[in-house]
Amino acid sequence: MAGRMFRFIGLLLTSSWLVACIPGRDYEPRIIGGDPDQGREALARYECGVCHVIPGVPDAIGKTGPALDNYSRRSYVAGKFPNEPEVLVRWIADAPAMAPQTAMPAIAMSDKEARDMAAYLYESD
Amino acid sequence: MSSRPPDELPNTLPRPAGEFERLQAVWKRPRGWRVLTQVNNTAIGLWYIGAALLFLVLGGILALIMRTQLVVPGNDLVDYDLYNQLFTMHGSVMMFLFAVPVIEAIGILLLPAMQGARDLPFPRLSAYAFWAYFVGGLVFFTTIFFDLAPDGGWFMYPPLTSYEFSPGLRTDFWLLGIGFIEISAIAGAIEIVVGILRTRPPGMTLDKMPIYLWAMLIVGAMIIFGFPPVILATALLELERAFHWPFFLAEKGGDPLLWQHLFWLFGHPDVYIIFLPAAGLVSMMVATMAQTPLIGYRWIVVAMLATGTISFALWVHHMFATGMPHLSLSFFSAASMAVAIPAGLQVFSWIATLWRGNVQRTTPTYFLLGFFGVFVLGGLTGVMLAVVPYDWQAHDTYFVVAHLHYVLIGGMLFPVFAGIYYWAPLISGRQLSERMGTWACTIMFIGVNLTFFPMHIAGLLGMPRRVWTYADGYGLEIYNLLSTVGAFVFAAGIGIVLLDLLLHFRPAGKVNTNPWRAGSLEWLPQDEYAIRSIPFVTNRDPLWANPSLPEEVDAGQHYLPGTATGVRETIVTSPIDARPQYVLRLPGSSWLPVLAGVGTAVFFLALTVKWMVIAVLGAIVALVSILMWLWQSDPAPSGKLFDIGGGLSLPDYMTGSNSHSWWSMVVLMLVDGSIFACLIFTFFYLWTVTLSGFPPESLELPLIGSSVAAALAWAVSVAAMYVSNRMLPQKRMGAVGLTLTAALAGVWIAFGLSLHALLETNLQPQLHGYASTAYTTVAWQGLHAVLLTLMAGFTLVRLWLGMIDPVRRVVFDNTRIMWYYCAAQGVLALLVMSSPRLAM
Amino acid sequence: MESSHSASVLHPASDSGAALIDQLGTALYVGGAIIFVVVMALAIYGVFAKARAINARGWILGGGLAFPIVTLTVLLMYSLAVGNGLNAIGSSNALQLFLECFGIGDARERTPADGLLRVHVVGKQWWWEVRYEQPGRQEVILANEIRMPTDRAVELVLSTTDVIHSFWAPSLAGKVDMIPGRTTRLRLQTSEEGTFRALCAEYCGGQHALMALYVVTQETTDFDAWLASQARPANEPTDPFLKTGYDAFFRGECHECHTIRGTPAEGTSGPDLTHVGSRKSLAAGTLNNHIGTMAGWIAGAQDVKPGNKMPSSLAYSGVELRALSAWLGSLE
Repeated sequence: MAGRMFRFIGLLLTSSWLVACIPGRDYEPRIIGGDPDQGREALARYECGVCHVIPGVPDAIGKTGPALDNYSRRSYVAGKFPNEPEVLVRWIADAPAMAPQTAMPAIAMSDKEARDMAAYLYESD
Repeated sequence: MSSRPPDELPNTLPRPAGEFERLQAVWKRPRGWRVLTQVNNTAIGLWYIGAALLFLVLGGILALIMRTQLVVPGNDLVDYDLYNQLFTMHGSVMMFLFAVPVIEAIGILLLPAMQGARDLPFPRLSAYAFWAYFVGGLVFFTTIFFDLAPDGGWFMYPPLTSYEFSPGLRTDFWLLGIGFIEISAIAGAIEIVVGILRTRPPGMTLDKMPIYLWAMLIVGAMIIFGFPPVILATALLELERAFHWPFFLAEKGGDPLLWQHLFWLFGHPDVYIIFLPAAGLVSMMVATMAQTPLIGYRWIVVAMLATGTISFALWVHHMFATGMPHLSLSFFSAASMAVAIPAGLQVFSWIATLWRGNVQRTTPTYFLLGFFGVFVLGGLTGVMLAVVPYDWQAHDTYFVVAHLHYVLIGGMLFPVFAGIYYWAPLISGRQLSERMGTWACTIMFIGVNLTFFPMHIAGLLGMPRRVWTYADGYGLEIYNLLSTVGAFVFAAGIGIVLLDLLLHFRPAGKVNTNPWRAGSLEWLPQDEYAIRSIPFVTNRDPLWANPSLPEEVDAGQHYLPGTATGVRETIVTSPIDARPQYVLRLPGSSWLPVLAGVGTAVFFLALTVKWMVIAVLGAIVALVSILMWLWQSDPAPSGKLFDIGGGLSLPDYMTGSNSHSWWSMVVLMLVDGSIFACLIFTFFYLWTVTLSGFPPESLELPLIGSSVAAALAWAVSVAAMYVSNRMLPQKRMGAVGLTLTAALAGVWIAFGLSLHALLETNLQPQLHGYASTAYTTVAWQGLHAVLLTLMAGFTLVRLWLGMIDPVRRVVFDNTRIMWYYCAAQGVLALLVMSSPRLAM
Repeated sequence: MESSHSASVLHPASDSGAALIDQLGTALYVGGAIIFVVVMALAIYGVFAKARAINARGWILGGGLAFPIVTLTVLLMYSLAVGNGLNAIGSSNALQLFLECFGIGDARERTPADGLLRVHVVGKQWWWEVRYEQPGRQEVILANEIRMPTDRAVELVLSTTDVIHSFWAPSLAGKVDMIPGRTTRLRLQTSEEGTFRALCAEYCGGQHALMALYVVTQETTDFDAWLASQARPANEPTDPFLKTGYDAFFRGECHECHTIRGTPAEGTSGPDLTHVGSRKSLAAGTLNNHIGTMAGWIAGAQDVKPGNKMPSSLAYSGVELRALSAWLGSLE
C-alpha cells in the first residue's frame, strides 16, 4: 500500500517537472479579464480562421494571414509591435488604427471579445 | 434412368484394391510454385474468400480514415480531394471487391460439398474469375496511393463524371477497373448456375435442394440479368469520356438520368444479390442450430423468387428526388414496400424454426441473433425510405448511410461471419475459438449500432452524405463523435475474428466432423476429391434421415467410388429431377486460367492509363490462354459406358441440351442478350426524353438500302449455318467447313453493310445521342463479328484436325447457337436503328 | 461556418411541407420501434426457450404474410395522401403520370397554380444563383440566399448549368434534384418567420460539402420592401476609402465574372454582387458575411474553398483589400 503511494507521488513530481519543461507553459497568464474558452468560441464565431491557422479552432486553416500558433513565444505582434497583452488586444480589435497599411480589417467587436481572443492565443500551443 | 433410389447400396464392400489410391492420385494437390495452378474448388474457394476478406479490411481502413476526419466539425486530417476519393473507393471496394466476390466465393467453396459433387462443372472458369478479380482488384486499390483513385462516388453520376467535369484518369480507373470485376462476376455466375442445375447428386430434385442452392440459383440468375445494365452503362460512359460520344449530355441529345436508370437497374438487384445468399446461409444455419428442419421451405423458396423478381422493379426508389411526378413514384414506392413482405416471411420462418427446436447456444447462433437485430432495423428504415414523402427528406443524407450499412452489415456481414464460425470446421477439421467468437460477436454488435444508429439522427439533423466536413452549431457534433468511436469498436470486433482465423484455422486435407450435427451433405467426410462416393438423395436433410450415411459414403458404397474414366470427374444429372446422365471429365491444374485472369486484369488497367503496348500484350496473353484452355475443354468421347455402381452405366459425353457446355453457352447468351436489351432501352429512352428530335432534323437516318441488304446478309449467313448443321451428321466435313466459311463471310458482309448505312450519311457519333447510340449498336455487332470469327476459326481448325464429328460436336453446336443469336441480334439492331422512320 | 439556423427534419417550420412529413415520420418511428421490439423479443425467446410444438402455418401466414401486407397497405395509402398534399401542382391523370415516369410525355414544364411566387434557383459548382423574374420591373438576381413571404407559397424553379445538384432545406420541405436539361420544381411554404439553412444534397464534386444557402422568411411588407431594395442599382461611392475599394474591384478585374448593377461590372460567371453586403453568408453558406471574412475570402478564396472558380486575389495592397471589402460590404 505504502509502496503504491510512493510511486504515485513520484509520478506526480515527475510529471509536474515535465509540464514545467513544456515550452510556453512557463509564462504567467498575461491577460487580466480574458477568458480563453470564450476567446476560442469568439475566434470561431468571427471566423478568424479564414485567414489564420489557429490550433484548436475548427476550420482555422487560412493562409492569408500569419499562423497564430505558439503566440506566447513570439516577440512581436504583426512583426512590428512588442508582444504585450494590451498591444495584442488593440491589434485584434482595430489593426488598421495601429498599422494603416495592414490588410487585416477592423472587425466590429467588444473589448471583452478581443481580450478573450488574446487570452486564447496566449494559452494555446 | 434411375429416378428412384436404389433398393440396396450401389456398391459393395470391400472395394477393389487401388481404386481409392487412383481417386486420390487424380485429385492430388500440386506442390511448390504449381500450387498456384490449382483449379479445385476447395482451393479456389478459400483463396477467393481470403481475397475478399482482404478487401474488407482495406475498405474498412478507408472508412476509419473518413470517420476520423469527421470526428469533429471543420477537421483537416484529410482534405476534400482525398476524402472524395476515400468515400468513392470505400463504396466501390465494399460493393465490387468484397460483397459480390465473397458471396460468389462462398458459393464456389460450399456448393459442390452441399450437392455431393466433386467440383463445379468449370473449375478453370472459377480459377480465371478469381485471378482476374484478385490481381485487378489489388491494382485498382493501389490507385488511392497515387492520387489516381476515382472521386465521383461509387454511383458515378454523369455529367459530373463525364469528360468536362472529371478530366484525368480517376474516373477511367473506376469505369475500366469495374470492367474486369463485371467479367469475373459473370464468369462466377455461369459456373454457379450451371453447377447447381447440372451437377447435383442423383435424386436431389429441385424440391430437395438445400435452401442455399435455391438462393444461389436465384442469385446467379439475378447476376445474369442484373449486371448487364451496369456493363453497358460503364461502356457508354467510357465512350462518352474517351470519344465524346454523347449519351448522358442533355445538350447533345443524351440524358443524365439515363445513367441513373441503368445504374440502379443494376444497383438495386445487386443489394439482393448480396443479401439472398446470406439469407440462404442463415436458413441452413438456423435449421442446424435449432436441430429441426427449416419451417416453410417452400414458402422461403417462393419468397426468394419473389425478392429476386421484385428487386428488378424498384430501382426508381433511388430517384425519388429527381422531380418525377408523385403518382408515378408511388408505383415504385409500392414495389419497394412489397419487397419487405418476402423478407418478413423469411424472418418469421426462421423465428418459428428457432421456437420449434432446442437451439444450440454457440457462436454461430449469436451471430445469427446479431443478424436479426441489425437486419430487421435496416429493413424497417428501408420501408421508411420507400415512403416517398419521407424519402424526399431522408434521401442522400446520413439516414440513408445508416440504413444501407444496417442492411448490408446486418443482411450480409453478420450471416457471413456466422458462416465463418459455422463452416470453418468443414475445412480445418476443428472449430474456431468459442470464446473469441462470442467476444467478437458482442463487440461487433455494439460497434455497428454505435457507429450507425447515431447516423440516422445526424441525417435528420441535416447532414448530407458525401461531405468531407460539416458546420458546427447544428447539433451534429455528438452524433459524429459517437459514430467515430463506434467505427473503431466495430473494427476491433472484426479484428478479433481475423485473429481467431489466424490462430485457429488451418486447412486440413481429410476432414470428418459434424460439430453442429447438421443434416446437409457438406458434413459428409471430405477430402481433396470431395466425398468418396456420391449418395442418392431422398431427403432434404440426408444426414438426419440416414445417420450411417457418412460411413457408407466414405467406404465407397455409393455411386462413383473411384475414378471411372481415369481423370477428375463428377456426375452430371438432369436439371430438374436430377437423373444421372453422364460422367463429366473435369480439367486439372493449369497455368492457363492464371495467365488468362492476370492478362484480363492487365488489359483493362493498362488500357486505363493508355499503355497501349502493355494492354495489347495483356489481351494477347488472355486470349491465347483462353483459346488454349478451350482447346482442351472438349475431350474426345471414348464411346464406352462407365459403371458407377448400382447397375448404372453412364457415358462420358453428351451433346445438345444434355451437355453442361450447352447450358453455359445459353447462360452466356442470356447475359449478352441482356446487354443488348439495355442498349435498345437506351435507344428508346433517349428517343422519348430528347426534345430536339431523335434524330434531330439536321441529321439523316441510316441508309435504307444498305440496312435491308445487311439484313439479307444475316439471313444468308444463317442459312449457310443451317446447311452446315445438316451436313455434319452426314459426315460431309468438306461441305461443313465450306458452308461455315460462307456463313462467316455473311457475318462480315452484314456488319460492313450496317456500318456503311451509317457512314454514308451525315451521322457522326459525336453529334447527338441518336448517332452515338446507332454507332454503338453497330459497334456491338462488330464485336460479335469478331467473336464469331474466333469461334468459327476455332471450329474450322478442329474440323480440319478431325476433332469434330457427328458425335463429338459440342464445339460446333456452341458456335451454331451463338451464330443464330448474333444474327437475330443483328437484324433487330437494324430494325431499331431505322425505327424513327416509322414515326415520321 | 458556425451558426444555428434551423436545418433539421426534426424541427420543421410551422405549416411547412416539412411539418407534414415530420408527422408521417413520427408514425414511422413509433411503428418501426414497436415492430422491432416484438420481432427481437420473439427471436431471443426462440433461442433461449425450450423446444415447443408450434403452428408453422400460423407463423408464416400470420406473421410472415398477413401482418406485413396489412401494415404496408395502410402505410402506402397514408404516404400517398401526404405526398399528394405536398404535391398539389400538376396532373392528376394516373395513366399520364405512369407514362411520364418512363419519360413518355412532357413532364418538364407544367404551369404553376395561380398565386405562387416563382423563384428561379440555378445550381452551380458550388453556389446557387437565385432569380426573381418580375415582368415589367427590374429582375432581381442574388446568390446563396432566398427570401420569401410567410403568407404565400413559393415555387422554386430548379435548374443547373453544370452537374446535378439537389436543393434541400430540411426545415421547410423535402429535396428536389437539379438536373441538366430539365427543370424541376419544389414548393416552399411556412407561416413562420425565420432563417433556414439549405444545402446541396447531391454529390456535385470537390466542394459539395461547402454548398449551402439561407432561406429567409419574412412578413409580406418586409419582403416587398426587401425585393424593392434589391431591385435598386448600386452607386459609385463618394467616400474616398470606399472609392479606393471601387477602383480596386476593377483593377483586379473582378468585373470579368461579377455583375454590380449601376457600375460597368457585367460579368455573369460569378454571383451578382449588387447587394452582396445585405447577404447572410459568403461562399455559399461557408462564411458569415462581415468585413473580415470578405477580405479573407477575396484574398484566400482557394484556401477557404479549394477548387472553386474564384481565384485568390494576390495583387492587392493591404489597404486596397480592406477598402474593397468595405465597399462590397456597403452594398446592402
